Amino acid sequence: MPNPVTPLLEVCGLKTWYPVKKGVFARTVGHVHAVDGVDLTLYRGETLGIVGESGCGKSTLARTILRLEKPREGTVSLGGQNVLALRGEALRAYRRTVQVVFQDPHASLNPRHTVLELLTEAMLVHGLVTRDTCREAAARLLADVGMPDDILDRYPYAFSGGQRQRLCIARALALGPQLLICDEAVSALDLSVRAQVLNLLQDLKAKHGLSYLFITHDIGVVQHLADRIAVMRNGKFVETGSADDVLNTPTHPYTRLLLRAVPHIGIPLPEEADVSSETVPATAS
Amino acid sequence: MNRMAKETNILRRLWRRWDTRLCLLVIAVYCCAAVYGEAVYRYYRWTDQTPSYNQVHETARYVAPAFVRVFSGTPASAGQPLYLLGSDNLGRDVLQRLGQGPRIAFHVGIITSLIAIPLGVILGCLGGYFGGRVGSAVVWLCATVASMPGLLFILAVAMVVGQGLLGIYLGIGLTTWVSVCRNVRGEVIKHRGRAYVQAAQVLGYSHARIMFRHILPNVAHIILIAFSIRFPASVATEVFISFLGIGVQGEPSWGIMINNARLRLWQGVWWEMTFVTLAIFALVLAFNHLADALRDLLDPALRTEQV
Repeated sequence: MPNPVTPLLEVCGLKTWYPVKKGVFARTVGHVHAVDGVDLTLYRGETLGIVGESGCGKSTLARTILRLEKPREGTVSLGGQNVLALRGEALRAYRRTVQVVFQDPHASLNPRHTVLELLTEAMLVHGLVTRDTCREAAARLLADVGMPDDILDRYPYAFSGGQRQRLCIARALALGPQLLICDEAVSALDLSVRAQVLNLLQDLKAKHGLSYLFITHDIGVVQHLADRIAVMRNGKFVETGSADDVLNTPTHPYTRLLLRAVPHIGIPLPEEADVSSETVPATAS
Repeated sequence: MNRMAKETNILRRLWRRWDTRLCLLVIAVYCCAAVYGEAVYRYYRWTDQTPSYNQVHETARYVAPAFVRVFSGTPASAGQPLYLLGSDNLGRDVLQRLGQGPRIAFHVGIITSLIAIPLGVILGCLGGYFGGRVGSAVVWLCATVASMPGLLFILAVAMVVGQGLLGIYLGIGLTTWVSVCRNVRGEVIKHRGRAYVQAAQVLGYSHARIMFRHILPNVAHIILIAFSIRFPASVATEVFISFLGIGVQGEPSWGIMINNARLRLWQGVWWEMTFVTLAIFALVLAFNHLADALRDLLDPALRTEQV
Protein backbone atom coordinates (compact mmCIF):
# COMPACT_ATOMS: atom_id res chain seq x y z
CA MET A 1 0.00 0.00 0.00
CA PRO A 2 1.21 3.50 -0.68
CA ASN A 3 3.27 5.18 1.90
CA PRO A 4 2.39 8.83 1.51
CA VAL A 5 5.34 10.05 3.54
CA THR A 6 8.39 9.80 1.27
CA PRO A 7 8.08 10.96 -2.32
CA LEU A 8 10.27 8.95 -4.67
CA LEU A 9 9.91 10.94 -7.85
CA GLU A 10 8.98 14.58 -8.07
CA VAL A 11 8.37 16.36 -11.34
CA CYS A 12 7.87 20.10 -11.25
CA GLY A 13 6.64 22.33 -14.06
CA LEU A 14 8.07 20.05 -16.70
CA LYS A 15 7.91 21.24 -20.30
CA THR A 16 9.22 19.27 -23.26
CA TRP A 17 8.70 20.88 -26.62
CA TYR A 18 9.65 19.54 -30.01
CA PRO A 19 10.80 22.10 -32.55
CA VAL A 20 8.95 22.27 -35.86
CA LYS A 21 11.47 22.93 -38.62
CA LYS A 22 10.80 24.24 -42.07
CA GLY A 23 12.61 25.37 -45.16
CA VAL A 24 16.04 24.84 -46.63
CA PHE A 25 17.88 25.90 -43.50
CA ALA A 26 15.60 23.97 -41.14
CA ARG A 27 14.57 27.13 -39.35
CA THR A 28 12.54 26.51 -36.22
CA VAL A 29 9.12 27.96 -36.93
CA GLY A 30 7.29 26.75 -33.86
CA HIS A 31 7.03 24.07 -31.22
CA VAL A 32 4.87 21.09 -30.47
CA HIS A 33 4.08 21.39 -26.78
CA ALA A 34 4.26 17.67 -26.04
CA VAL A 35 4.60 18.12 -22.30
CA ASP A 36 3.47 21.52 -21.20
CA GLY A 37 3.87 22.09 -17.50
CA VAL A 38 3.38 18.86 -15.61
CA ASP A 39 3.63 18.53 -11.84
CA LEU A 40 3.74 15.04 -10.48
CA THR A 41 4.64 13.32 -7.25
CA LEU A 42 5.12 9.60 -6.98
CA TYR A 43 5.42 8.08 -3.52
CA ARG A 44 7.41 5.02 -2.64
CA GLY A 45 5.50 1.78 -3.26
CA GLU A 46 2.77 3.57 -5.13
CA THR A 47 1.35 3.00 -8.59
CA LEU A 48 0.52 6.15 -10.48
CA GLY A 49 -1.52 5.67 -13.62
CA ILE A 50 -1.24 8.29 -16.33
CA VAL A 51 -4.14 8.16 -18.75
CA GLY A 52 -4.78 10.07 -21.90
CA GLU A 53 -5.43 9.74 -25.58
CA SER A 54 -2.73 9.08 -28.16
CA GLY A 55 -0.48 12.07 -28.70
CA CYS A 56 -1.30 13.81 -25.44
CA GLY A 57 2.32 13.68 -24.26
CA LYS A 58 2.28 10.68 -21.94
CA SER A 59 5.20 8.95 -23.59
CA THR A 60 7.19 12.17 -23.91
CA LEU A 61 6.72 12.68 -20.19
CA ALA A 62 8.12 9.19 -19.58
CA ARG A 63 10.97 9.74 -22.01
CA THR A 64 11.88 13.00 -20.33
CA ILE A 65 11.93 11.37 -16.92
CA LEU A 66 14.15 8.66 -18.43
CA ARG A 67 16.43 11.34 -19.90
CA LEU A 68 15.77 10.25 -23.46
CA GLU A 69 14.49 13.76 -24.22
CA LYS A 70 15.76 17.07 -22.96
CA PRO A 71 13.10 19.18 -21.30
CA ARG A 72 12.77 22.86 -21.97
CA GLU A 73 11.84 23.81 -18.45
CA GLY A 74 11.12 22.24 -15.13
CA THR A 75 12.78 19.79 -12.79
CA VAL A 76 12.75 16.08 -12.21
CA SER A 77 14.11 14.86 -8.93
CA LEU A 78 14.47 11.40 -7.51
CA GLY A 79 14.90 11.12 -3.77
CA GLY A 80 15.76 14.81 -3.65
CA GLN A 81 18.43 14.56 -6.36
CA ASN A 82 18.13 16.61 -9.55
CA VAL A 83 17.87 13.98 -12.28
CA LEU A 84 18.39 16.34 -15.20
CA ALA A 85 21.88 17.34 -14.05
CA LEU A 86 23.20 13.82 -13.48
CA ARG A 87 26.37 12.76 -15.23
CA GLY A 88 28.78 9.86 -15.19
CA GLU A 89 28.53 7.50 -12.26
CA ALA A 90 25.57 9.34 -10.73
CA LEU A 91 23.66 8.91 -13.99
CA ARG A 92 24.51 5.22 -14.00
CA ALA A 93 23.19 4.94 -10.48
CA TYR A 94 19.98 6.62 -11.66
CA ARG A 95 19.77 4.07 -14.47
CA ARG A 96 19.87 1.34 -11.85
CA THR A 97 17.02 2.97 -9.96
CA VAL A 98 14.59 3.76 -12.77
CA GLN A 99 13.79 1.34 -15.56
CA VAL A 100 11.26 1.14 -18.35
CA VAL A 101 9.09 -1.35 -20.22
CA PHE A 102 8.10 -0.15 -23.68
CA GLN A 103 4.96 -0.77 -25.65
CA ASP A 104 6.13 -2.91 -28.55
CA PRO A 105 7.62 -6.17 -27.28
CA HIS A 106 8.78 -7.05 -30.80
CA ALA A 107 10.94 -3.96 -31.18
CA SER A 108 12.18 -3.83 -27.59
CA LEU A 109 14.44 -6.86 -27.74
CA ASN A 110 17.54 -6.90 -29.90
CA PRO A 111 16.90 -9.73 -32.38
CA ARG A 112 20.62 -10.56 -32.47
CA HIS A 113 21.03 -11.27 -28.76
CA THR A 114 20.10 -14.40 -26.87
CA VAL A 115 17.88 -14.26 -23.81
CA LEU A 116 20.97 -14.74 -21.66
CA GLU A 117 22.70 -11.75 -23.27
CA LEU A 118 19.55 -9.64 -23.07
CA LEU A 119 19.12 -10.26 -19.37
CA THR A 120 22.72 -10.21 -18.16
CA GLU A 121 24.35 -7.50 -20.24
CA ALA A 122 23.04 -4.73 -18.02
CA MET A 123 24.14 -6.52 -14.86
CA LEU A 124 27.60 -7.09 -16.30
CA VAL A 125 27.92 -3.50 -17.46
CA HIS A 126 26.92 -2.23 -14.02
CA GLY A 127 29.18 -4.76 -12.33
CA LEU A 128 26.37 -6.44 -10.39
CA VAL A 129 27.37 -9.98 -11.39
CA THR A 130 30.42 -11.67 -12.87
CA ARG A 131 30.56 -13.86 -15.96
CA ASP A 132 30.49 -16.95 -13.72
CA THR A 133 27.37 -16.04 -11.82
CA CYS A 134 25.37 -14.34 -14.56
CA ARG A 135 23.62 -17.53 -15.71
CA GLU A 136 22.08 -18.11 -12.29
CA ALA A 137 21.12 -14.45 -12.05
CA ALA A 138 19.37 -14.69 -15.41
CA ALA A 139 17.56 -17.85 -14.34
CA ARG A 140 16.37 -16.04 -11.19
CA LEU A 141 15.02 -13.19 -13.30
CA LEU A 142 13.20 -15.61 -15.56
CA ALA A 143 11.68 -17.32 -12.53
CA ASP A 144 10.52 -13.89 -11.35
CA VAL A 145 8.54 -13.34 -14.51
CA GLY A 146 7.28 -16.91 -14.66
CA MET A 147 9.34 -18.29 -17.50
CA PRO A 148 11.40 -21.49 -17.55
CA ASP A 149 15.18 -21.19 -17.44
CA ASP A 150 15.86 -23.52 -20.38
CA ILE A 151 15.28 -20.67 -22.84
CA LEU A 152 18.48 -18.80 -22.02
CA ASP A 153 20.18 -19.64 -25.31
CA ARG A 154 17.24 -18.86 -27.55
CA TYR A 155 16.62 -15.74 -29.60
CA PRO A 156 13.70 -13.33 -29.11
CA TYR A 157 11.92 -14.30 -32.32
CA ALA A 158 11.12 -17.68 -30.76
CA PHE A 159 8.69 -16.05 -28.32
CA SER A 160 5.19 -14.67 -28.50
CA GLY A 161 4.30 -11.08 -27.68
CA GLY A 162 3.35 -11.87 -24.10
CA GLN A 163 6.50 -13.88 -23.51
CA ARG A 164 8.63 -11.13 -25.01
CA GLN A 165 6.99 -8.59 -22.74
CA ARG A 166 7.85 -10.82 -19.78
CA LEU A 167 11.45 -10.82 -21.03
CA CYS A 168 11.34 -7.02 -21.22
CA ILE A 169 10.11 -6.87 -17.65
CA ALA A 170 12.82 -9.30 -16.56
CA ARG A 171 15.44 -7.16 -18.28
CA ALA A 172 14.10 -4.04 -16.57
CA LEU A 173 14.25 -5.80 -13.20
CA ALA A 174 17.84 -6.94 -13.77
CA LEU A 175 19.30 -3.83 -12.21
CA GLY A 176 17.02 -3.97 -9.17
CA PRO A 177 15.13 -0.74 -9.85
CA GLN A 178 12.86 1.06 -7.40
CA LEU A 179 10.73 2.68 -10.06
CA LEU A 180 9.44 0.93 -13.14
CA ILE A 181 7.93 3.06 -15.88
CA CYS A 182 5.49 1.07 -17.98
CA ASP A 183 4.95 2.98 -21.20
CA GLU A 184 1.86 1.36 -22.70
CA ALA A 185 3.42 -1.90 -21.55
CA VAL A 186 0.31 -4.00 -22.15
CA SER A 187 -1.31 -2.13 -25.04
CA ALA A 188 0.14 -4.40 -27.72
CA LEU A 189 -0.97 -7.59 -25.99
CA ASP A 190 -4.25 -9.36 -26.49
CA LEU A 191 -6.76 -9.38 -23.69
CA SER A 192 -6.00 -12.63 -21.87
CA VAL A 193 -2.24 -12.13 -22.04
CA ARG A 194 -2.72 -8.54 -20.92
CA ALA A 195 -4.44 -9.71 -17.77
CA GLN A 196 -1.62 -12.16 -17.04
CA VAL A 197 1.04 -9.51 -17.47
CA LEU A 198 -0.90 -7.07 -15.30
CA ASN A 199 -1.14 -9.70 -12.57
CA LEU A 200 2.57 -10.36 -12.94
CA LEU A 201 3.31 -6.65 -12.49
CA GLN A 202 1.09 -6.63 -9.42
CA ASP A 203 2.99 -9.59 -7.93
CA LEU A 204 6.38 -8.09 -8.72
CA LYS A 205 5.40 -4.87 -7.03
CA ALA A 206 4.83 -6.64 -3.75
CA LYS A 207 7.89 -8.88 -4.13
CA HIS A 208 10.44 -6.22 -5.03
CA GLY A 209 8.86 -3.18 -3.41
CA LEU A 210 8.50 -1.41 -6.74
CA SER A 211 6.77 1.81 -7.58
CA TYR A 212 5.09 2.09 -10.94
CA LEU A 213 4.48 4.92 -13.30
CA PHE A 214 1.89 3.26 -15.45
CA ILE A 215 1.17 4.99 -18.72
CA THR A 216 -1.75 3.91 -20.83
CA HIS A 217 -4.42 5.22 -23.14
CA ASP A 218 -6.86 2.64 -21.80
CA ILE A 219 -8.36 3.70 -18.50
CA GLY A 220 -9.67 0.17 -18.09
CA VAL A 221 -6.13 -1.11 -17.64
CA VAL A 222 -5.16 1.16 -14.76
CA GLN A 223 -8.35 0.94 -12.80
CA HIS A 224 -7.43 -2.22 -10.93
CA LEU A 225 -3.72 -1.47 -10.76
CA ALA A 226 -3.30 2.20 -9.91
CA ASP A 227 -3.46 3.82 -6.49
CA ARG A 228 -3.70 7.24 -8.03
CA ILE A 229 -4.58 8.33 -11.52
CA ALA A 230 -3.58 11.42 -13.45
CA VAL A 231 -5.52 12.27 -16.57
CA MET A 232 -3.47 13.98 -19.23
CA ARG A 233 -4.59 16.01 -22.18
CA ASN A 234 -2.59 18.18 -24.58
CA GLY A 235 0.52 18.01 -22.43
CA LYS A 236 -1.16 18.93 -19.17
CA PHE A 237 -2.73 17.05 -16.29
CA VAL A 238 -6.42 17.87 -16.25
CA GLU A 239 -7.32 15.78 -13.24
CA THR A 240 -5.30 14.03 -10.55
CA GLY A 241 -6.59 12.04 -7.65
CA SER A 242 -6.91 8.69 -6.00
CA ALA A 243 -8.06 5.96 -8.35
CA ASP A 244 -11.44 5.64 -6.66
CA ASP A 245 -12.15 9.35 -6.86
CA VAL A 246 -11.15 9.71 -10.48
CA LEU A 247 -13.04 6.63 -11.59
CA ASN A 248 -16.18 7.11 -9.54
CA THR A 249 -16.54 10.84 -9.34
CA PRO A 250 -14.69 12.30 -12.28
CA THR A 251 -14.73 16.07 -12.17
CA HIS A 252 -13.31 16.93 -15.56
CA PRO A 253 -15.49 16.31 -18.62
CA TYR A 254 -12.53 14.77 -20.45
CA THR A 255 -12.16 12.11 -17.76
CA ARG A 256 -15.83 11.27 -18.14
CA LEU A 257 -15.31 10.98 -21.85
CA LEU A 258 -12.42 8.56 -21.34
CA LEU A 259 -14.46 6.49 -18.91
CA ARG A 260 -17.28 6.21 -21.35
CA ALA A 261 -14.84 5.02 -24.01
CA VAL A 262 -14.05 1.84 -22.05
CA PRO A 263 -15.83 -1.05 -23.79
CA HIS A 264 -18.39 -2.88 -21.68
CA ILE A 265 -19.51 -6.45 -21.74
CA GLY A 266 -23.23 -7.06 -21.38
CA ILE A 267 -26.00 -4.51 -20.91
CA PRO A 268 -25.04 -0.89 -21.54
CA LEU A 269 -24.52 0.82 -18.22
CA PRO A 270 -26.38 3.89 -17.11
CA GLU A 271 -24.34 7.08 -17.08
CA GLU A 272 -23.73 7.24 -13.33
CA ALA A 273 -23.07 3.57 -12.67
CA ASP A 274 -20.03 2.24 -10.83
CA VAL A 275 -17.85 1.76 -13.87
CA SER A 276 -14.74 0.56 -12.11
CA SER A 277 -16.02 -2.79 -10.95
CA GLU A 278 -17.95 -3.62 -14.07
CA THR A 279 -15.31 -3.24 -16.74
CA VAL A 280 -12.61 -5.61 -15.58
CA PRO A 281 -12.20 -8.16 -18.37
CA ALA A 282 -13.64 -11.55 -17.60
CA THR A 283 -10.22 -13.16 -17.70
CA ALA A 284 -8.60 -10.75 -15.30
CA SER A 285 -9.38 -12.75 -12.20
CA MET B 1 18.54 -21.54 -35.16
CA ASN B 2 21.46 -19.39 -34.10
CA ARG B 3 23.59 -16.81 -35.84
CA MET B 4 25.98 -19.31 -37.41
CA ALA B 5 23.14 -21.38 -38.78
CA LYS B 6 21.66 -18.27 -40.31
CA GLU B 7 24.82 -17.44 -42.19
CA THR B 8 25.25 -20.96 -43.55
CA ASN B 9 21.59 -20.88 -44.42
CA ILE B 10 22.18 -17.88 -46.69
CA LEU B 11 25.04 -19.69 -48.37
CA ARG B 12 22.84 -22.75 -48.84
CA ARG B 13 20.11 -20.66 -50.39
CA LEU B 14 22.60 -19.08 -52.77
CA TRP B 15 23.83 -22.54 -53.68
CA ARG B 16 20.35 -23.86 -54.37
CA ARG B 17 19.72 -21.45 -57.26
CA TRP B 18 21.58 -22.35 -60.42
CA ASP B 19 22.54 -18.79 -61.35
CA THR B 20 23.99 -17.84 -58.00
CA ARG B 21 25.65 -21.25 -57.79
CA LEU B 22 27.39 -20.46 -61.08
CA CYS B 23 28.50 -17.12 -59.66
CA LEU B 24 29.90 -18.80 -56.57
CA LEU B 25 31.73 -21.32 -58.75
CA VAL B 26 33.19 -18.59 -60.96
CA ILE B 27 34.36 -16.66 -57.92
CA ALA B 28 35.83 -19.82 -56.44
CA VAL B 29 37.78 -20.43 -59.66
CA TYR B 30 39.12 -16.88 -59.56
CA CYS B 31 40.06 -17.33 -55.91
CA CYS B 32 42.04 -20.44 -56.80
CA ALA B 33 43.67 -18.59 -59.68
CA ALA B 34 44.58 -15.74 -57.34
CA VAL B 35 46.15 -18.10 -54.82
CA TYR B 36 47.99 -19.93 -57.61
CA GLY B 37 49.17 -16.62 -59.08
CA GLU B 38 50.43 -15.50 -55.67
CA ALA B 39 52.31 -18.78 -55.25
CA VAL B 40 53.92 -18.45 -58.70
CA TYR B 41 54.83 -14.82 -58.00
CA ARG B 42 56.39 -15.66 -54.66
CA TYR B 43 58.26 -18.61 -56.11
CA TYR B 44 59.97 -16.54 -58.77
CA ARG B 45 60.75 -13.77 -56.33
CA TRP B 46 62.24 -16.27 -53.92
CA THR B 47 64.39 -17.99 -56.56
CA ASP B 48 65.29 -14.60 -58.01
CA GLN B 49 64.40 -15.54 -61.60
CA THR B 50 62.47 -13.65 -64.23
CA PRO B 51 58.92 -14.95 -63.81
CA SER B 52 57.77 -17.17 -66.67
CA TYR B 53 54.97 -14.74 -67.41
CA ASN B 54 57.51 -11.99 -67.95
CA GLN B 55 59.89 -14.05 -70.09
CA VAL B 56 60.51 -12.41 -73.43
CA HIS B 57 60.76 -14.51 -76.62
CA GLU B 58 61.91 -12.21 -79.37
CA THR B 59 61.36 -14.93 -81.98
CA ALA B 60 57.80 -15.70 -81.01
CA ARG B 61 56.00 -12.35 -81.06
CA TYR B 62 52.29 -12.27 -81.80
CA VAL B 63 51.85 -16.02 -82.03
CA ALA B 64 48.17 -16.86 -82.48
CA PRO B 65 46.43 -19.04 -79.87
CA ALA B 66 47.15 -22.76 -80.24
CA PHE B 67 43.61 -23.69 -81.25
CA VAL B 68 43.63 -21.06 -83.99
CA ARG B 69 46.91 -22.42 -85.31
CA VAL B 70 45.44 -25.93 -85.38
CA PHE B 71 42.50 -24.74 -87.46
CA SER B 72 44.58 -22.66 -89.87
CA GLY B 73 47.24 -25.35 -90.19
CA THR B 74 50.20 -23.16 -89.23
CA PRO B 75 52.93 -25.47 -87.87
CA ALA B 76 54.49 -24.67 -84.52
CA SER B 77 58.10 -23.72 -84.78
CA ALA B 78 60.50 -25.90 -82.86
CA GLY B 79 61.44 -25.03 -79.28
CA GLN B 80 58.62 -22.53 -78.99
CA PRO B 81 56.22 -22.67 -76.04
CA LEU B 82 52.70 -23.92 -76.68
CA TYR B 83 50.98 -20.50 -76.36
CA LEU B 84 47.50 -21.84 -75.66
CA LEU B 85 46.08 -18.32 -75.80
CA GLY B 86 48.76 -16.84 -78.01
CA SER B 87 51.64 -14.51 -77.21
CA ASP B 88 51.94 -10.73 -76.98
CA ASN B 89 54.21 -8.10 -78.46
CA LEU B 90 57.27 -9.44 -76.61
CA GLY B 91 56.47 -13.09 -77.09
CA ARG B 92 55.16 -13.49 -73.54
CA ASP B 93 52.53 -16.14 -72.89
CA VAL B 94 49.08 -14.53 -72.67
CA LEU B 95 47.65 -17.41 -70.62
CA GLN B 96 50.31 -17.09 -67.94
CA ARG B 97 49.95 -13.35 -67.79
CA LEU B 98 46.20 -13.68 -67.67
CA GLY B 99 46.59 -16.03 -64.71
CA GLN B 100 48.38 -13.28 -62.78
CA GLY B 101 45.40 -10.97 -63.19
CA PRO B 102 43.24 -12.37 -60.38
CA ARG B 103 46.13 -12.02 -57.97
CA ILE B 104 46.28 -8.28 -58.46
CA ALA B 105 42.52 -7.95 -58.77
CA PHE B 106 41.96 -9.70 -55.44
CA HIS B 107 44.71 -7.69 -53.80
CA VAL B 108 43.03 -4.51 -54.91
CA GLY B 109 39.49 -5.69 -54.11
CA ILE B 110 40.34 -6.91 -50.63
CA ILE B 111 42.77 -4.22 -49.52
CA THR B 112 40.63 -1.33 -50.73
CA SER B 113 37.66 -2.94 -48.97
CA LEU B 114 39.71 -3.15 -45.80
CA ILE B 115 40.28 0.59 -46.05
CA ALA B 116 36.88 1.72 -47.33
CA ILE B 117 34.49 -0.48 -45.34
CA PRO B 118 35.79 0.19 -41.80
CA LEU B 119 36.01 3.89 -42.62
CA GLY B 120 32.48 3.96 -44.04
CA VAL B 121 31.02 1.83 -41.25
CA ILE B 122 32.57 3.82 -38.42
CA LEU B 123 31.68 7.22 -39.89
CA GLY B 124 28.20 5.97 -40.84
CA CYS B 125 27.59 4.65 -37.33
CA LEU B 126 28.77 7.87 -35.71
CA GLY B 127 26.77 10.06 -38.08
CA GLY B 128 23.62 7.98 -37.85
CA TYR B 129 23.70 7.39 -34.12
CA PHE B 130 24.54 10.85 -32.87
CA GLY B 131 22.84 12.94 -35.51
CA GLY B 132 23.00 16.67 -34.88
CA ARG B 133 26.40 18.23 -35.45
CA VAL B 134 28.24 14.93 -35.78
CA GLY B 135 25.69 13.77 -38.32
CA SER B 136 26.00 16.99 -40.29
CA ALA B 137 29.78 16.69 -40.26
CA VAL B 138 29.61 13.16 -41.65
CA VAL B 139 27.10 14.15 -44.33
CA TRP B 140 29.30 17.11 -45.24
CA LEU B 141 32.38 14.90 -45.48
CA CYS B 142 30.52 12.38 -47.66
CA ALA B 143 29.24 15.10 -49.96
CA THR B 144 32.69 16.67 -50.23
CA VAL B 145 34.42 13.43 -51.14
CA ALA B 146 31.58 12.40 -53.47
CA SER B 147 31.71 15.71 -55.29
CA MET B 148 35.33 15.17 -56.30
CA PRO B 149 35.70 13.09 -59.45
CA GLY B 150 37.00 9.79 -58.08
CA LEU B 151 39.54 9.31 -60.79
CA LEU B 152 41.12 12.72 -60.23
CA PHE B 153 41.45 11.98 -56.55
CA ILE B 154 43.06 8.63 -57.28
CA LEU B 155 45.45 10.33 -59.71
CA ALA B 156 46.35 12.89 -57.07
CA VAL B 157 46.99 10.21 -54.45
CA ALA B 158 49.05 8.23 -56.96
CA MET B 159 51.13 11.34 -57.60
CA VAL B 160 51.77 11.81 -53.91
CA VAL B 161 52.66 8.26 -52.93
CA GLY B 162 54.24 7.40 -56.26
CA GLN B 163 53.19 4.96 -58.91
CA GLY B 164 52.33 1.39 -58.05
CA LEU B 165 49.79 -0.51 -56.04
CA LEU B 166 49.97 1.60 -52.88
CA GLY B 167 48.59 4.61 -54.71
CA ILE B 168 45.75 2.49 -56.09
CA TYR B 169 44.91 1.01 -52.69
CA LEU B 170 44.80 4.41 -51.02
CA GLY B 171 43.15 6.18 -53.94
CA ILE B 172 40.30 3.70 -54.34
CA GLY B 173 40.01 3.02 -50.62
CA LEU B 174 39.70 6.68 -49.70
CA THR B 175 37.07 7.51 -52.32
CA THR B 176 34.68 4.56 -52.25
CA TRP B 177 33.82 4.59 -48.55
CA VAL B 178 31.16 7.22 -49.24
CA SER B 179 28.44 4.85 -50.45
CA VAL B 180 29.12 2.43 -47.58
CA CYS B 181 28.92 5.31 -45.15
CA ARG B 182 25.64 6.62 -46.55
CA ASN B 183 24.00 3.21 -46.51
CA VAL B 184 25.15 2.43 -42.98
CA ARG B 185 24.13 5.88 -41.75
CA GLY B 186 20.62 5.49 -43.16
CA GLU B 187 20.22 2.08 -41.62
CA VAL B 188 21.57 3.20 -38.23
CA ILE B 189 19.12 6.12 -38.19
CA LYS B 190 16.34 3.61 -38.76
CA HIS B 191 17.50 1.50 -35.83
CA ARG B 192 18.31 4.39 -33.49
CA GLY B 193 14.63 5.07 -32.92
CA ARG B 194 13.75 1.44 -32.20
CA ALA B 195 12.76 0.52 -28.70
CA TYR B 196 15.63 -1.90 -28.17
CA VAL B 197 18.15 0.93 -28.63
CA GLN B 198 16.23 3.18 -26.26
CA ALA B 199 16.02 0.37 -23.75
CA ALA B 200 19.79 0.02 -24.06
CA GLN B 201 20.18 3.74 -23.37
CA VAL B 202 17.94 3.50 -20.34
CA LEU B 203 19.95 0.50 -19.12
CA GLY B 204 22.96 2.83 -19.04
CA TYR B 205 25.10 1.31 -21.78
CA SER B 206 27.85 3.42 -23.30
CA HIS B 207 27.35 4.91 -26.74
CA ALA B 208 30.13 2.75 -28.17
CA ARG B 209 28.50 -0.39 -26.80
CA ILE B 210 25.10 0.53 -28.22
CA MET B 211 26.57 1.43 -31.61
CA PHE B 212 28.84 -1.51 -32.10
CA ARG B 213 27.29 -4.31 -30.05
CA HIS B 214 23.61 -3.53 -30.50
CA ILE B 215 23.06 -1.65 -33.74
CA LEU B 216 25.97 -2.82 -35.89
CA PRO B 217 25.05 -6.54 -35.89
CA ASN B 218 21.61 -5.53 -37.11
CA VAL B 219 22.99 -3.57 -40.07
CA ALA B 220 25.71 -6.10 -40.91
CA HIS B 221 23.88 -7.22 -44.04
CA ILE B 222 24.51 -3.76 -45.50
CA ILE B 223 28.23 -4.33 -45.12
CA LEU B 224 28.08 -7.71 -46.85
CA ILE B 225 26.13 -6.23 -49.75
CA ALA B 226 28.44 -3.22 -49.91
CA PHE B 227 31.44 -5.52 -50.14
CA SER B 228 29.98 -7.57 -52.98
CA ILE B 229 29.11 -4.39 -54.89
CA ARG B 230 32.33 -2.47 -54.43
CA PHE B 231 34.70 -5.40 -54.95
CA PRO B 232 34.13 -5.66 -58.73
CA ALA B 233 33.96 -1.88 -58.99
CA SER B 234 37.40 -1.50 -57.47
CA VAL B 235 38.77 -4.27 -59.70
CA ALA B 236 37.47 -2.39 -62.73
CA THR B 237 38.94 0.86 -61.43
CA GLU B 238 42.33 -0.77 -60.99
CA VAL B 239 42.18 -2.07 -64.56
CA PHE B 240 41.40 1.39 -65.83
CA ILE B 241 44.13 3.10 -63.83
CA SER B 242 46.73 0.53 -64.87
CA PHE B 243 45.53 1.04 -68.44
CA LEU B 244 46.33 4.72 -68.03
CA GLY B 245 49.78 3.70 -66.91
CA ILE B 246 49.81 5.07 -63.36
CA GLY B 247 48.91 1.85 -61.60
CA VAL B 248 50.74 -1.41 -61.43
CA GLN B 249 54.29 -1.42 -62.79
CA GLY B 250 56.16 -4.40 -64.19
CA GLU B 251 53.47 -6.91 -63.31
CA PRO B 252 50.82 -8.21 -65.67
CA SER B 253 47.71 -6.52 -64.39
CA TRP B 254 44.69 -6.85 -66.64
CA GLY B 255 44.75 -3.13 -67.30
CA ILE B 256 48.36 -3.23 -68.45
CA MET B 257 47.56 -6.15 -70.73
CA ILE B 258 44.66 -4.27 -72.32
CA ASN B 259 46.89 -1.27 -72.82
CA ASN B 260 49.47 -3.56 -74.40
CA ALA B 261 46.98 -5.33 -76.61
CA ARG B 262 45.69 -2.04 -77.96
CA LEU B 263 48.90 -1.54 -79.98
CA ARG B 264 48.34 -4.20 -82.61
CA LEU B 265 44.62 -4.75 -82.33
CA TRP B 266 44.05 -3.05 -85.67
CA GLN B 267 46.39 -5.54 -87.28
CA GLY B 268 44.27 -8.46 -86.22
CA VAL B 269 46.06 -9.39 -82.98
CA TRP B 270 42.77 -9.95 -81.21
CA TRP B 271 43.55 -12.65 -78.69
CA GLU B 272 45.15 -10.72 -75.86
CA MET B 273 42.40 -8.10 -75.76
CA THR B 274 39.63 -10.68 -76.07
CA PHE B 275 40.76 -13.00 -73.32
CA VAL B 276 41.58 -10.26 -70.85
CA THR B 277 38.23 -8.62 -71.43
CA LEU B 278 36.43 -11.92 -71.02
CA ALA B 279 38.28 -12.61 -67.78
CA ILE B 280 37.28 -9.24 -66.33
CA PHE B 281 33.75 -9.58 -67.66
CA ALA B 282 33.20 -12.96 -66.01
CA LEU B 283 34.52 -11.84 -62.62
CA VAL B 284 32.60 -8.57 -62.54
CA LEU B 285 29.40 -10.19 -63.77
CA ALA B 286 29.62 -12.98 -61.20
CA PHE B 287 30.14 -10.51 -58.37
CA ASN B 288 27.42 -8.14 -59.50
CA HIS B 289 24.88 -10.89 -59.91
CA LEU B 290 25.79 -12.30 -56.52
CA ALA B 291 25.42 -8.85 -54.99
CA ASP B 292 21.93 -8.55 -56.43
CA ALA B 293 20.94 -11.96 -55.14
CA LEU B 294 22.40 -11.17 -51.72
CA ARG B 295 20.42 -8.00 -51.47
CA ASP B 296 17.22 -9.76 -52.44
CA LEU B 297 17.94 -12.41 -49.86
CA LEU B 298 19.11 -10.29 -46.95
CA ASP B 299 17.14 -7.09 -47.07
CA PRO B 300 13.53 -8.27 -46.99
CA ALA B 301 14.46 -11.16 -44.72
CA LEU B 302 15.68 -8.79 -42.06
CA ARG B 303 12.92 -6.29 -42.54
CA THR B 304 10.21 -8.79 -41.65
CA GLU B 305 12.43 -10.54 -39.10
CA GLN B 306 11.68 -13.96 -40.54
CA VAL B 307 14.92 -15.68 -39.68
